[in-house]
Amino acid sequence: MESDSKSATAGKVLRCKAAICRNPGEPLVIEDIEVDPPKAWEIRIKIICTTLCHTDITYWKMKTGLVAAFPRIFGHEAVGVVESVGEHVEEFIVGDTVLPVFLPNCNECRDCKSQKSNLCTKFQNNYPPNMPRDGTSRFRDMNGEILHHFLWVSSFTEYTVVDVTHAVKITPEIPADKACLLGCGVSTGIGAAWKVAEVEEGSTVAIFGLGPVGLAVAEGARQRGALKIIAVDLNPGKFDIGKKFGVTDFINPKTCGEKSVSEVIKELTDGGADYCFECIGLASLMQEAFLSSRKGWGKTVILGVEMHGSQLSLNPYEFLRGRSVIGTLFGGIKPKSDIPLLAKKYLDNELSLDEFISHELSFQEINKAFELHQEGKSLRCIIWMDR
Amino acid sequence: MDEKSSSETRGNPIRCRAAVSRKPGEPLVIEEVMVAPPMAHEVRIRIICTSLCHSDITFWKLKDFPGIFPRILGHEAIGVVESVGEDVDEVSEGDTVIPTFMPDCGDCVDCRSKKSNLCSKLPFKVSPWMPRHETSRFTDLKGEVLYHFLFVSSFSEYTVVDVAHVTKIDPSIAPNRACLLSCGVSTGVGAAWRTANVEKGSTVVIFGLGSIGLAVAEGARLCGATKIIGVDLNPDKFENGKKFGVTDFVNSGNCGDKSVSQVINEMTDGGADYCFECVGMASLVHEAYACCRKGWGKTIVLGVDKPGSKLSLSSFEVLHSGKSLMGSLFGGLKAKSDIPILLKKYLDKELQLDEFVTHEVRFDDINKAFDLLIEGNCLRCVIWMDKQVSS
Repeated sequence: MESDSKSATAGKVLRCKAAICRNPGEPLVIEDIEVDPPKAWEIRIKIICTTLCHTDITYWKMKTGLVAAFPRIFGHEAVGVVESVGEHVEEFIVGDTVLPVFLPNCNECRDCKSQKSNLCTKFQNNYPPNMPRDGTSRFRDMNGEILHHFLWVSSFTEYTVVDVTHAVKITPEIPADKACLLGCGVSTGIGAAWKVAEVEEGSTVAIFGLGPVGLAVAEGARQRGALKIIAVDLNPGKFDIGKKFGVTDFINPKTCGEKSVSEVIKELTDGGADYCFECIGLASLMQEAFLSSRKGWGKTVILGVEMHGSQLSLNPYEFLRGRSVIGTLFGGIKPKSDIPLLAKKYLDNELSLDEFISHELSFQEINKAFELHQEGKSLRCIIWMDR
Repeated sequence: MDEKSSSETRGNPIRCRAAVSRKPGEPLVIEEVMVAPPMAHEVRIRIICTSLCHSDITFWKLKDFPGIFPRILGHEAIGVVESVGEDVDEVSEGDTVIPTFMPDCGDCVDCRSKKSNLCSKLPFKVSPWMPRHETSRFTDLKGEVLYHFLFVSSFSEYTVVDVAHVTKIDPSIAPNRACLLSCGVSTGVGAAWRTANVEKGSTVVIFGLGSIGLAVAEGARLCGATKIIGVDLNPDKFENGKKFGVTDFVNSGNCGDKSVSQVINEMTDGGADYCFECVGMASLVHEAYACCRKGWGKTIVLGVDKPGSKLSLSSFEVLHSGKSLMGSLFGGLKAKSDIPILLKKYLDKELQLDEFVTHEVRFDDINKAFDLLIEGNCLRCVIWMDKQVSS
């Protein structure tokens, strides 16, 4: 395809289907919407497939607060093809395979230029509901009512518009259902093990919470040669799934008896794990993870979004003993440079993604994905737009 | 007592003078004590000089356990080996050595790892005894046991120390400089150099400009930090701090409506690369965390707060900031390998130690050292064991 060719719909308002959430906690309704053409530094993407992530559920339910905005188009883990580009866009051309991502990556700010940070400061975002540069929406329903964006992605629609800082070009070789997994949860877990913790061969690792993020941490740790991967989860059914991702030991907090989880982990690891990951979002577990880490060098990585806004309470004495704590968004992943690397690892069979997919649905069935998730029956449910 | 040759004392108890702390908070009493010969893996040392550290004061005042009396305090010192017990190959009679509260057995998983200085074989704890046999080598002339302190007990003309707590050093270095590396200065310099691994060109903030904080500044300067902000309630500390590399000063009592962290975030355009807490207050650790830069900032806890104190952080901020919170004992240093490196840096005039010594007294006047440190205008007061103070 020539680089300056345009699609037939370039520059025009597109009419397509989207799954709209009109009120918090209500099933999404699939309706026709209008999607404006991309403005400067924006691209319009035809979504191939998308998945549901816990963060979608959290905000789908949220009635009040700075971040709540309805009606809204959710979804932030997806893969698509560029349909048209706005002015000043040089990074992408029509036909490129791209992942829209919630974390910006401008490649100009101090953080983007540093290897040590993935927290792009171009927009100083505090989760505004719409497009990052001008705060407006590109979506309207057929009554002309604004539909709010979500995490600068909004993938529960046949077409979306994202800022170039929130899009990553990837090779079309990677199958779409595997590619979209790299947009959030799986990358977060792998990144946490590889980039933030830097798990080494022979390490012992403890993972609190075996949802997709925790399983991805296990996969990442296994790929790095971790010897012992201990998973903590209230659901014993998760052990079998966990084993597929490298989990070697399983702890169910309900069956620890008199002992605390950290005491059990310390016994299993002869003093504490080298790396502990909290992948649920509960301060009490973050504290327990910290106590489970080994003196001298034990590192605790926080990935979970605390569900009650609770404070983390830690004993300073434990820090003097050489322990450390670090939190991470998106596992330290710098989207534009690291996601393509993960895609390549998948293609080279150095990274396993297939087992994350537990279900596949058509776009029309999208509410079933919510049900499956809430029933705890799914890992990642692929929602295909064209089926 | 006059210095005797090892051939006269080896294998026998030594009668010598020690400054004994008999009651919490009361002046030390200089009295004659008996120092037993070293057991296996132990070394008996004739102390040349010792310096007073804040931790001595803390335990001197402590009425309840781990405060314990009567005790021979002191843990920052330098001496000469008088005799060695069985199975000691590392040092011999006549060697100049620095005793340290931190063990370095060289053999366990931690000692062999680059990532940890917390020896597992002889784990550090505040104990009244010798580490291996859990007995004391000191008795007073009535035969009453005198307790050890931090495995060193340097407020005595002779002491017995486990070989894991002894570092052999170059004898040519002035003892009133070398002894500083036995605790405080090593802790601060190490924190910057080893624990934080301060990079060239960094911005550093130090909460608390006592000896530890100033040593952190010196360590940060050595690592090439270009902006070193000192935070203290006492403005006099800035002038002094400049000698150790402090480039900017924030008087935490004088920030008006703003918090210290707000002032620092403004000064550093978003936060410092490294923030060190060198006082020992949870609230200051919170301030330090608040003004370390998101993305890569590191907050390092060095100060020791009261038992039971807790750090309370916003989980949201921890997750979204990417900041690390860490800490260490003894600056993360491995005594036997790192102290000689630091001494060499001193000899090569890269590391400065001279400015830390603000006072020097004779052993008889040891209580003056306590007064000086408590008054607050003293960094390190060196206490000489010889009858004459070496000037």
